[in-house]
Amino acid sequence: MGDNDVWQGTLALMILRTLESMGPLHGYGIARRIEQISGDQLIVQYGTLYPALLKLVQEGYIASEWGVSDNNRRARFYKLTRAGRRQIEKESQRWEKAAAILARFSSPAEESL
Amino acid sequence: MRKLRALLVRLWGLPRRNREDREFSEELQSHLEMHIDENIRTGMSPEQARREALLKLGGIEATTQAYRDQNTLPFFETVWQDLRYALRQLRHNPGFTVTVILTLALSIGANTAIFSLVNALLLKSLPYPHPERMGAIYTRVTGPQPWEERHHVDGEQWELLRDNVPALVSAISGSRPSGVNLESGSRVQYVQSARVSAHYLDVLGVHPLIGRNFSEAEDLPHGPKLALLSYNLWKNTFAANASILGQSVLLKGEPYSVIGILPDGTTTPINADLYIPIQASRQGEGSGTNFVCVTRLRDGATWQQADTQINHAWSLRANKYELADSPGGQVTYYSVPLQKGETDPLRPQVLTLMLAAGFILLIACANLAGLTLVRLLRRTPEIATRVALGASHWRVQQQLWVENLVLALAGGMAGVAAGFLALRGLLLLLPEHFLPIADVLLDSKVLVFAIVTSVATSVLFGMLPALTTRKLDLRSAIASREATARDRVQLRQILITGEMALTVILLAACGLLIRSLIHLQTLPPGFNPTGVMTARASLDNVRYHDGVAFRKLLDDSTSAMRQIPGVTEAAVGLSLPYERALNEGGIEINDGQEAGQKVMADAVYVTPGYFAALQIPVLEGRSFTEVDGPEAQHVVLVNQTFAHKFLHGNAIGRHLDKDMVVIGVVGDVAIAPGLSALAPLMNEETIYVPAAQMDARQFSLLHVWFQPSWIVRTAHPIEGLTGQMQRALASVDPTLPFSGFYRMQDVQAKTLAMQRIEVALLGTIAGLALMLSTVGIFSLVANIVAQKTREIGIRMALGSTIREAMLNIGGPGLRAAALGLSIGLIVSAAVLRALRSALYGIEVYDWPTLATVVLVLVSVSVIATVIPALRIARIDPARTLREE
Repeated sequence: MGDNDVWQGTLALMILRTLESMGPLHGYGIARRIEQISGDQLIVQYGTLYPALLKLVQEGYIASEWGVSDNNRRARFYKLTRAGRRQIEKESQRWEKAAAILARFSSPAEESL
Repeated sequence: MRKLRALLVRLWGLPRRNREDREFSEELQSHLEMHIDENIRTGMSPEQARREALLKLGGIEATTQAYRDQNTLPFFETVWQDLRYALRQLRHNPGFTVTVILTLALSIGANTAIFSLVNALLLKSLPYPHPERMGAIYTRVTGPQPWEERHHVDGEQWELLRDNVPALVSAISGSRPSGVNLESGSRVQYVQSARVSAHYLDVLGVHPLIGRNFSEAEDLPHGPKLALLSYNLWKNTFAANASILGQSVLLKGEPYSVIGILPDGTTTPINADLYIPIQASRQGEGSGTNFVCVTRLRDGATWQQADTQINHAWSLRANKYELADSPGGQVTYYSVPLQKGETDPLRPQVLTLMLAAGFILLIACANLAGLTLVRLLRRTPEIATRVALGASHWRVQQQLWVENLVLALAGGMAGVAAGFLALRGLLLLLPEHFLPIADVLLDSKVLVFAIVTSVATSVLFGMLPALTTRKLDLRSAIASREATARDRVQLRQILITGEMALTVILLAACGLLIRSLIHLQTLPPGFNPTGVMTARASLDNVRYHDGVAFRKLLDDSTSAMRQIPGVTEAAVGLSLPYERALNEGGIEINDGQEAGQKVMADAVYVTPGYFAALQIPVLEGRSFTEVDGPEAQHVVLVNQTFAHKFLHGNAIGRHLDKDMVVIGVVGDVAIAPGLSALAPLMNEETIYVPAAQMDARQFSLLHVWFQPSWIVRTAHPIEGLTGQMQRALASVDPTLPFSGFYRMQDVQAKTLAMQRIEVALLGTIAGLALMLSTVGIFSLVANIVAQKTREIGIRMALGSTIREAMLNIGGPGLRAAALGLSIGLIVSAAVLRALRSALYGIEVYDWPTLATVVLVLVSVSVIATVIPALRIARIDPARTLREE
């Protein structure tokens, strides 16, 4: 896994967040959006994206249906479900907590000096 | 939960993978094109845009595979693949598939049927609330002659139990229902009536559907005449009319008020059409042990308390009959679960059958292991190729196991169907009320048993072959068609030795039971059973408590029957040969050297024609005649056993019970013994008294227990005899129906029901075992022939004769069979001793039986070896050699 690949666990949250802010979106749109938000620091491999999308569908956090994109292409659109919205709350808190813990390790506490 | 949901969705995705794949490639395609569009927008050339997009995609195949892995379950997908492969394989080998499924169907069918019995009798709870709080009381006598059983109780025990054991709700019933006549309007019905005490239904936890139960006050001697009807009787006879409550029905010639109706489907341990209060006391019936008791633990009490109270209450008794035969002994009482109490007598038989059925399963496993082993052997090159192409060992194993499982489940399903049919057949074989339970069903427990058995079977028969693939030597396996044939043959020989040994045990056990049954059926009956028709009627009727009416009925009906053309003699007796007779204790011998002795014997009242009708020989003195009326000198006939045992052969003119004089000795007849049961049919000391000299006061009780039989002897078969007998009886009493008509063979068959059933069941199982073993030997030899065709061809080309080749090929099968036979005989020597109590008239080591078993198995083994070996004769050495 390269430096700028996305972690599996975080990818799910990113997808959910993206759908929350953008509304129903196709796979390509989601990938582009995540890459943009990260300031092109992340590259979303399709081999990672689609299994992640499928997993979220299977877990019932998002739903998919076929539609037509802006430039008239048939595409599968993904949208958040109610369970998905709830999941965003839970996942966000979990990540914030994890991030906070990690932050403490990367900036050592003063006592240990 | 989310994980579970995802798993289910993925499982769901398995069969629809193709559509999903198509949709996903469409999605990827649209993704790719959107990417290209955007790249073009940012100024790339179309080719460049496409290349960049494809690069970013990172390989369509890999992505598709990652998506597919997420979409389905890779493990299940391979199982799915294996499943389809297995089905294809099995379809292409119909012979193998049919043999396996048939073998499984028979063996699992046998096990399912027998297990249904075990389940219904021993495992399933009784159909009452809180069955664990229901009990039966066992008596244990220690000392010089110890015994232990669920003993019937007498009136004194009942009163003490009822009044002095507060830990229990106790109840009693008569020992079995009795046939009585129920008159409703112009219709007379013969129904089964049970006499029960006040709290009988409370012990069972049954509440009347409508109406009420008997009260304690109504259950006292000389209490009111009341009846509770079963739902079926209420529905069929009274059209489910609720207004019957409080009304009277004419039962046994007297009005009984109906006070309640039992709910639909209620079963009781005594199972009757209607229930009346037993109104027991210490007198009459209560002076002997004629009651069966059931108990229910009261809330808050423990079984220990109950047992302490029972032992205390019953220690106060005046009459400790239990110790009569074991002076100096100790008697104690204890409660056991009612389930055990009800089914104890059948437990050994049922468990023996289960064991025998288990043997069948083992034999079937051995056969199937042999078959799958051979099949695997044939597929060795195929498997080796797969391993060479990179299939993992685990993958190969998985595929083999899936195949076994498919077979096992198919066989299991066929087995459940076979078991269902076998069970129906078995229940048809059983006489009515033979089992102390209402019905035997294939319930969920039985189905689980069948499925577990099938899977366990597949593990058993699949294990051996699967293990042998571990030692697969790739190079030789691919190259050679004969592979490692030698050790496989040895393995199969071991299997056949084992199944042969089990077959010997089953056949020997079955043979002994058959010999035993033949012995019982061919016992000299002591009378001539051919040309005799009997019919039973209930005289438990207030009209016939009077001696005059009783005598008139017997005299007039028998003379009416004698008028039927072709009838040579007609008579009435309280009981028939082959049946159990009334046991009478305290018969006093008044004179001779045995004066003062009191003896116990069977007692039968008969009309004068009884001995002529049954052709029982009068050996000394004379038979009864019309002269022996109520006012004449009281006379008695004794049978040979009685004369020898109690009167030392000097019987004529002796006095019994003060006023009866012995006027003759008649021959012994085979009966179902009631005094000391050493065999299901035997001779027992018996006295016969003229029906006309019976004390009418005894009838009320005697006819509750026994329904006398009318007997006619005909010179030749008569068309419509039963109808004419019924009309003859109706000409004397139109409200007295016969309950049924029986030839003496029917009576004998009923007494020997248990033995016949044992023979039928064990016979079926032993037959199955023999068949499976034969198939086992046959397929072993057939396979050796098939495998060694080339070797035989070479041998014969080099000058070996067909006979030598056959001996060489058939040898392994015969040697295995011979070894199995010897082991089986040795094991039988130990195992068959357990059958001793079920055998009559023969020894456990019965040489004719064992010789027959050996003869049958040897001939079957030789046939099963020779037939496939005959194929050798058709081998053309030149052709087999060219084939290579």
